[in-house]
Amino acid sequence: MVTQGVEAYIRQKFAEYAGLTDEQLFSDDVTLAAVIGRSPKMTNSIDLMEAFARTANALRKDYGVRVRLPALPLDTSTAAVLKVFLEEFERQQEAAG
Amino acid sequence: MSIVEATSAEATNAEATSAGAASGGARNAATAPPAIITDLYDAVTERGMSLVDVTWEQQRLHESRRWSVVELLADVDLDALTPIDRNLVWNAGRAELTTKPGADRLERQAEAECRRWQGTNPAVASIMEACGTWSRYWNEEEAHHETVFNRLADLSGMEPISDETFIAFRQVFPDDDMLRTLMLLAISEITAAVNYGQCQQVVQDPGLRRIFKQVAADEIQHRNYFISFAKALVDSGEYHAKDAFAVAHLFLREDGELQGSAREQKEDRGTHVNWWDHLDTAETDYRPEALEKKEQLICGALKKITGIEVHSRDEVEDTWLDLVGS
Repeated sequence: MVTQGVEAYIRQKFAEYAGLTDEQLFSDDVTLAAVIGRSPKMTNSIDLMEAFARTANALRKDYGVRVRLPALPLDTSTAAVLKVFLEEFERQQEAAG
Repeated sequence: MSIVEATSAEATNAEATSAGAASGGARNAATAPPAIITDLYDAVTERGMSLVDVTWEQQRLHESRRWSVVELLADVDLDALTPIDRNLVWNAGRAELTTKPGADRLERQAEAECRRWQGTNPAVASIMEACGTWSRYWNEEEAHHETVFNRLADLSGMEPISDETFIAFRQVFPDDDMLRTLMLLAISEITAAVNYGQCQQVVQDPGLRRIFKQVAADEIQHRNYFISFAKALVDSGEYHAKDAFAVAHLFLREDGELQGSAREQKEDRGTHVNWWDHLDTAETDYRPEALEKKEQLICGALKKITGIEVHSRDEVEDTWLDLVGS
């Protein structure tokens, strides 16, 4: 299952760039606002945007798929962000044929 | 020619003059027409300009561009204002309320950054001090904008701004990386200048048109100052170009900050008010957008600050992604 592998990869990369554990990021409907508050590497939503960008760059480097995220409100849960990431990944992968 | 084009040309002339005068040394620069020092890092590190020299240049330009709110208001025919005119004035007044906390934040942050760099990079410390010193001129000039629009809204019978709203709009912004702060302020000035340029073309009353023209010209000067300070930080090698691109992307991206109050969902920021979130067209259905012009000017600012040329929001995103790495 490629998607399962990619999901674990995205979770790992995002956790790495946020300086948090997987549990701190993805348990109990954590919102993006909460991620900024918890992360020792983030001051505001620009840092969050950069963590997503670095995750997207890593995906492109290791999977050859370019994922672009839409602007997401800060009350979005990390689970919802992960879903968007995966949907975008699959869409771009299919488009690339 | 639109106000933005006119003021950009004015700014270009000022930059050219500044570069030429400053190359002759700090003392000679004082005899040239007043202008923004556009190559500040070089001026501090190579051309031997002291903070006294830099402050003198700031003072000369500030004095040369002063105008009177009282005099300009006297030339407005209140009875001739249309509903759109009054709505534009009301929005501008509320937006301008948020500039003082922006300037207060800049002064505080520049002071802290100056102390932080003093021991390790004196040139950056001087640039931060120059920025903090200039913030007093910026704050004073913005006071003109706030009062001219709010007094005019008041005189023309617009909905009064309550003290609660006034205080809410005065909340000081949280601190951030200094390059990101300067880029955000440059973009905010670009957005305001383009909006006022648009307003100038819509309003009929010559007195009100003169006010929008004057304020737009001030905002372009402020943009140029922010670009100068931001460029100096990148030139120092202590600040990374990716952060200027990050802020540009934040504004230009789909559903980004440039869309402001037109966005479906606004963030509940809790800490401060961003004026672009709070524009209200009321019943007039007119919004001074000109998004392409703003995009073009933001790309121009990025070129001046980082030396990297981009021409569209897609190129901004691509370059930012490249700079961020993985």
